[in-house]
Formats: sequence, structure tokens, C-alpha cells
Amino acid sequence: GACRVSMSMTEIRAGFTAIKANIQSRDPIRTLSILSHPHSLHKVKSSDRCCITHQLFTFYVDKVFKHCRTEDSFVNRKISSIANSFLSVRRKLGQCREQNNCVCGEESTEKFKQILANYEGLNVTSAAMKSLGELDILLDWMEKSR
Amino acid sequence: DALLPAPQSISILSTNMKHFLTWSPVIVQGATVRYSVEFQGEYEREYANGSWIPISECSLTTATVCNITEDISATVAYKLRVRAELGATRSRWGTTKGFFNRAMTSLTPPLLRVVADGHHLLVELADMGPSFQFRLLYWKKSQESRVQQKVVKEVSSMVHLDTMEAGAEYCVKAQTHVEAINRSSSFSPTQCVMAQGDTSVWLV
Repeated sequence: GACRVSMSMTEIRAGFTAIKANIQSRDPIRTLSILSHPHSLHKVKSSDRCCITHQLFTFYVDKVFKHCRTEDSFVNRKISSIANSFLSVRRKLGQCREQNNCVCGEESTEKFKQILANYEGLNVTSAAMKSLGELDILLDWMEKSR
Repeated sequence: DALLPAPQSISILSTNMKHFLTWSPVIVQGATVRYSVEFQGEYEREYANGSWIPISECSLTTATVCNITEDISATVAYKLRVRAELGATRSRWGTTKGFFNRAMTSLTPPLLRVVADGHHLLVELADMGPSFQFRLLYWKKSQESRVQQKVVKEVSSMVHLDTMEAGAEYCVKAQTHVEAINRSSSFSPTQCVMAQGDTSVWLV
């Protein structure tokens, strides 16, 4: 099913752009991807989009942001801004999923399992920093599939 | 630390998505007291062990106001706290009572200037920042029932609304809309202008 959720994409992207270089410089393993390995998000069917978006926002809120604390106050403030925005959007996505009964198809379930496997294949801080550094992959995919 | 009292009368002033934390000064005769401010969003409360995040621009400041706009950048419930510092002595934290959500900001009507440039109905809008859109309503004075609307998402210098009939009077009013909190301001006062009369020239 479809989910139309209003979110301040501009604010989230501005917050991420401000710290992208800093975060990506903390990710030594450039050959691996959490979100895009082995298949890109762009391969997800439109009917599965609502479900996997909610799963991904839950992934970032539950697993990623808390392990991204740095020694840099500016970076921490921007991460907080993104994390709180994700929390706000995740809540709307959850409500939408319930109302629209967004069923998680086999494909998105498989895709999300792969993302978790990629994440758990690294130590938690590296995995969290890499996932945060790939946020624009998620944002680009969401904007293209609007 | 009990020697230095915590700041009191801590409150948040928020207008048009600009948010400021203010507090009363802590008075110590002959000394300069400084203050430090921290914030906590819903995410920090629920997923990051209730951690607090310092606002560097308001660390060891002598001011009794802090611009928290940059950090209140999600539509969730935030808490703010401030403490006084004098040398190595620190007061307890003074924390805002209740939560602050940017959806509570007060929205004022936009400032606008309506211009008749010959037959063209133009409007100049004051820029209020990236969060703001503007909804303009305009009509010919004698035809109040036929109101037209234009939504302006990005403020440019002048907005062209319509081409007016010669000598007719046109009226305009506007409100702001903030998508991030899904709220609108009240309307501005109505402004009316007269289109230039017909100046056809006859060759004799």
C-alpha cells in the first residue's frame, strides 16, 4: 500500500550535508555498503516501499544513531537533529502502515534482512557510522520514489 | 555547588519558527556569572539514555538568552536546561517546565507591500526563512465573491499576481504556512491598489 507522509526532507538533508564529510571520514571500509549490497534500494517494488521505509527508519532510530556519538559537539547536534526528525517521521509511517495495512512483501523482507546482515557483519560503531554515512542513499531513494 | 543558585524563570520565546531560551540572571556581587545551556530531544530521552547535548554557542556565556533555533529542528518534544558557572563553581541545572515542541511557535501574519505597476498587480513579501510558504488571496474590489489564490513557496523579489483592468481597484491579503508543523498564520490586513486608468492616445 502507499503511504503519504509529510516530512521535512530539506531539513534532514541540510543536517546530513553539514556532517557528511566528517562522518564518512570515520568509515575506513569504503568497499562495503550496508544499504546497497548486494542490491540497490531502487530494486524494491513500489508496493513494498511503505513497509521497507518504515523498517529502515526503525533501523536508524533503534540501531544506528545511538552508536554515532562523537567528540565533536557540532556533529552531535546535527545527529540529534536528524535522529529526532527520523523519530517524528517513523511515528507517522507507523500510523500509516496500520491504517493502510502495508503488508511487507517477501522482497522487502528479504532486502531488510540483508541490510541487517550487512550491519551485523561489522563491529557496532563501524556499522553505525557507515550506515549514517549512507543516509543520502536512503534520502535519494525516498525522493526518487515519491 | 549549592553556593551558586540555579537560574530561575527559565522560558522559551518562540515566534515564526525562531526559538529562544531565556532565564533570569544569577547575581553575585562583584563577579561575572556565566551560563551553559543543553538540550534533549525525544530521541535522547527514549533511545540515548536521557542524554543531554550542549549548545556550544551558549556555553560559558554571560548572556541570559540563547538562540536554540538550529537545535530545535524536528517536530518532537524537547527539554532545555541551563546552569550558572562562576570559576570552578557550578549551580544545579534549571530545567524548562514541561516540554517544548516547535509546533507551538506563534505565527504572525506576513509583511507585504502591494504595488500597482501600470496594469500589473505585484506583491513584495518579506522573507521569513526556508520553512515558510505564503498563501495570497486577491480579488477585484467589486467582485468579492471571485477571490483568486496564489501559493508562493519561495520568496523572490516581486510576485506578479495579475494583470488588472484599467482603472479598477484590486485587494490583496496573505497568510504564511509552515509545512513542517502543518500550521498557518492569520491573514494580514487587506491592502488595495488602483490600476492605472486608460491612457489611450488619439492622433489628431
